[in-house]
Amino acid sequence: MSAEIKPSKSLLHNALIKIVSEKLSLIALIIVFLYFLVAMLTAMGVLASNWGQEIGQSYAAPSFEAIKNYFGLDIFGRSVLLKTIKATETAVVIGVVVSMISIVIGTLLGMLAGYFGGFVDELIVWFYTTFASIPGVMLLVAIAFILGKGTTTVFLSLGLTSWLGLCRIVRAEVMKHKEREYIQAANAIGATHTRKLFNHILPNISHLLIINFTQTFDSAVKAEVVLSFLGLGVVGRPSWGTMIDDSKLELARGVWWQLAAATFAMFLIVLAFNILGDALRDALDPKLKGK
Amino acid sequence: MKMPNVLLIILSATFLVFAGCTKKQDSNERVLNLVSPAEIKGFDPIQADDLYSGREISKIYEGLLQYHWLKMPYELVPNLAAALPVISKDGITYTFKLRSGVKFQDDAAFAGGKGREVEANDFVYSIKRLADSRNQATGWWVLDGKLKGLNEWREKNSKLPATNYDEEVEGVKALDKYTLQFKLAKAFPQFLYALAMPFTYAVSKEVVAKYGKEFINHPIGTGPYILPIFDQGKKITYTKNPTFREKLYPSDASPEFKNLLSDAGKRLPLVEKIVVHVMKETQPAWLKLNKGEIDYYSVPKDNFATAIKNNKLSDELAKKGFILEIAPQLDVTYTAFNFENKLFHNKKLRQAMYLAYDEPKANELFYNNTAFPAQSIIAPGIAGVDKNYVNPFKGPKLTEAKKLLAEAGYPDGKGLPELKYDIPDSTVSRQMGEYFQKQMEQIGVKIKIISSPWPEFQAKVKKKAVEVYGLAWGADYPDAENFLQLFYGPNKSPGANGSNYDNPQFNKEFEAATQMQDSPERTARYEKLNKFLAEEVVALFGVHRQAYILEQGWLKNYHPTDLHHDAVQYLNIDTQKKAELLKNF
Repeated sequence: MSAEIKPSKSLLHNALIKIVSEKLSLIALIIVFLYFLVAMLTAMGVLASNWGQEIGQSYAAPSFEAIKNYFGLDIFGRSVLLKTIKATETAVVIGVVVSMISIVIGTLLGMLAGYFGGFVDELIVWFYTTFASIPGVMLLVAIAFILGKGTTTVFLSLGLTSWLGLCRIVRAEVMKHKEREYIQAANAIGATHTRKLFNHILPNISHLLIINFTQTFDSAVKAEVVLSFLGLGVVGRPSWGTMIDDSKLELARGVWWQLAAATFAMFLIVLAFNILGDALRDALDPKLKGK
Repeated sequence: MKMPNVLLIILSATFLVFAGCTKKQDSNERVLNLVSPAEIKGFDPIQADDLYSGREISKIYEGLLQYHWLKMPYELVPNLAAALPVISKDGITYTFKLRSGVKFQDDAAFAGGKGREVEANDFVYSIKRLADSRNQATGWWVLDGKLKGLNEWREKNSKLPATNYDEEVEGVKALDKYTLQFKLAKAFPQFLYALAMPFTYAVSKEVVAKYGKEFINHPIGTGPYILPIFDQGKKITYTKNPTFREKLYPSDASPEFKNLLSDAGKRLPLVEKIVVHVMKETQPAWLKLNKGEIDYYSVPKDNFATAIKNNKLSDELAKKGFILEIAPQLDVTYTAFNFENKLFHNKKLRQAMYLAYDEPKANELFYNNTAFPAQSIIAPGIAGVDKNYVNPFKGPKLTEAKKLLAEAGYPDGKGLPELKYDIPDSTVSRQMGEYFQKQMEQIGVKIKIISSPWPEFQAKVKKKAVEVYGLAWGADYPDAENFLQLFYGPNKSPGANGSNYDNPQFNKEFEAATQMQDSPERTARYEKLNKFLAEEVVALFGVHRQAYILEQGWLKNYHPTDLHHDAVQYLNIDTQKKAELLKNF
């Protein structure tokens, strides 16, 4: 009996099909996509470029006169809706940049430790163990104080403190993979370390990086809000953290809309990323395949 | 239901611990609860150049003179001095007799742990300590060039391996145990005010020697309260000094303070304990005030609309027994330039920036329209302010601002680098920074906001590591000289002239005016200097604020004041009334 041999679908392709077929994860994916789209459009100046403009009375309450007034106005009479949209850009940029920094550092160190073992492994394990022993918030605050305040500081301070988890996982995974047959085969044909690490092992552990991205993105968005609330975060451009920081005073006047807008915007993306992260883990983890 | 014994014990212990933590103050104990809106740098009088540190230091240390608690206009009266000084006819020699029997607070630094008597030599030492360049005293400006031979002593000793405190200085001498003599380098009628400021408070040589660098955290003075150690915490607890001399509540008062005489003749201080809560954020402090846990606090800007209507308290607050005190402050807010940066030598740039700034709007946003617009540096209520004068460069006049900016060489801000704007790190300061940024954006001037904690912010100003920064100056004494000296060249950072402005013409005229006795001619000169600074736009002058202070109904003898750093010793708590009023909270 003969049968047509179809090329098998890639892991990612499979995962995507699985996510799209589930309603909840599809909604989460759409939300995330929309946030990224909004961020891109604001960065290009298509959306909310005039967020700094004064459009009415200071602290005017939400009204349905115009779209800009839906979420009310802030202390300087600026639209809270436009600020929330502009802050999306801040959040997404921070989420992406921080995740990238953390993935690059975590993956690189994890792979080196897991692949070479011995002294390299000991050194890297010692390094991340020491790093992990410093309380996270303290380290963040210390880095922010040394580097001064601003967006770059937030990138670096969050990126430099969030690679530990990934490094550990990648190390363990690489240790496992380097004993597998396909690596032994690569050894047999004389492949270099670089080739084995980046051409063979890395694609096989890439699902971990994707899952980790969703988690780091999530925590970076939350950490930025905490830093801004403590006065250590983004200055001079809207961020959900500074909006919430403003609200702690404004609530005394009965001005709740800035807090509500920023909290809701943050809640939605964090929730969507959490759901997406779960769905990705289910879809990408080979152990859960078929379950 | 049965509960295992161990669990029961753990639960009871937890309950006891929490009960201990939330222990309420005994309403019979007279404790003052106050707020400091900024961190305290430390307790060294010679470094007390900010209001908040000055207030704390004055609870423990004292000087020769003080302001009468119940007299307005401000009147200097003796404190550690037995009487006001005898002043020579030429206004050069000031001779003080000291009060006898005044003792330093007990400390291990003294023989037997018992504080010794204060002598004239202690003041000589304290003044020299202020002058010692090794101490980098932030208060040195107050005596810089004022006392005969002191600058020379400072200069000479800075080159020696160690400062020689035994070397005699003609300008400050102890004639005997209780007689202290100052000789001025030239007439300086404001000199007596300097002796009521924290910088010249008496410190003891033994204590400084014992604690060395840690002296800043071990305040041992002669004042009404003691603080064994300052731990930079968020709560500073002072207790009554058991060896405090017999000092009485004043028995005479200006007409407006006659109602504050109920404690006349009583021995000071009137309360046993003071708790100062360091609270940078206004809302927690406001909530504490509304729970009756703080005795007075100024109304935060965001609570103003609900708390005060037509300059009267809301019914809800009035029912709780609160009293509203409104008083203009002797202060000015301003945005300073660091003139070390050549960029700001461009007068048209400064004028353009000032013209772009919408100050009436800022007054509405940040002061609920209660502040008075500042035309120049001197606060109203002090001789030297022309009431009818309006600064021609006060904004908002955008068209003129843009025109001047182009004339300055930066049309629409082109070619002008991004300016760094330093602020202390509170939410309101950030909002003010954002407001400034927004105002400057209108003419194309780009601003980057940099925020730092208050002590760090001050350190940056002292190190000249700032470009543009927002600040307020509260009078140290009721004389225009105290405001004008903010732009006097020799007072550059680390002195009070944080702008590092140095204009020979201004310096010369300032020196001439400040040597004159109070007279219409001197006032005219002050006015002229004030206008000169206004039109030079040496800073972007903001507002003169008004204090809106809520005082608990049980607090006695309180009145808002700018200069009485030592006010707490006169305050009292009516414990019976407190117990009654607290029922309404």
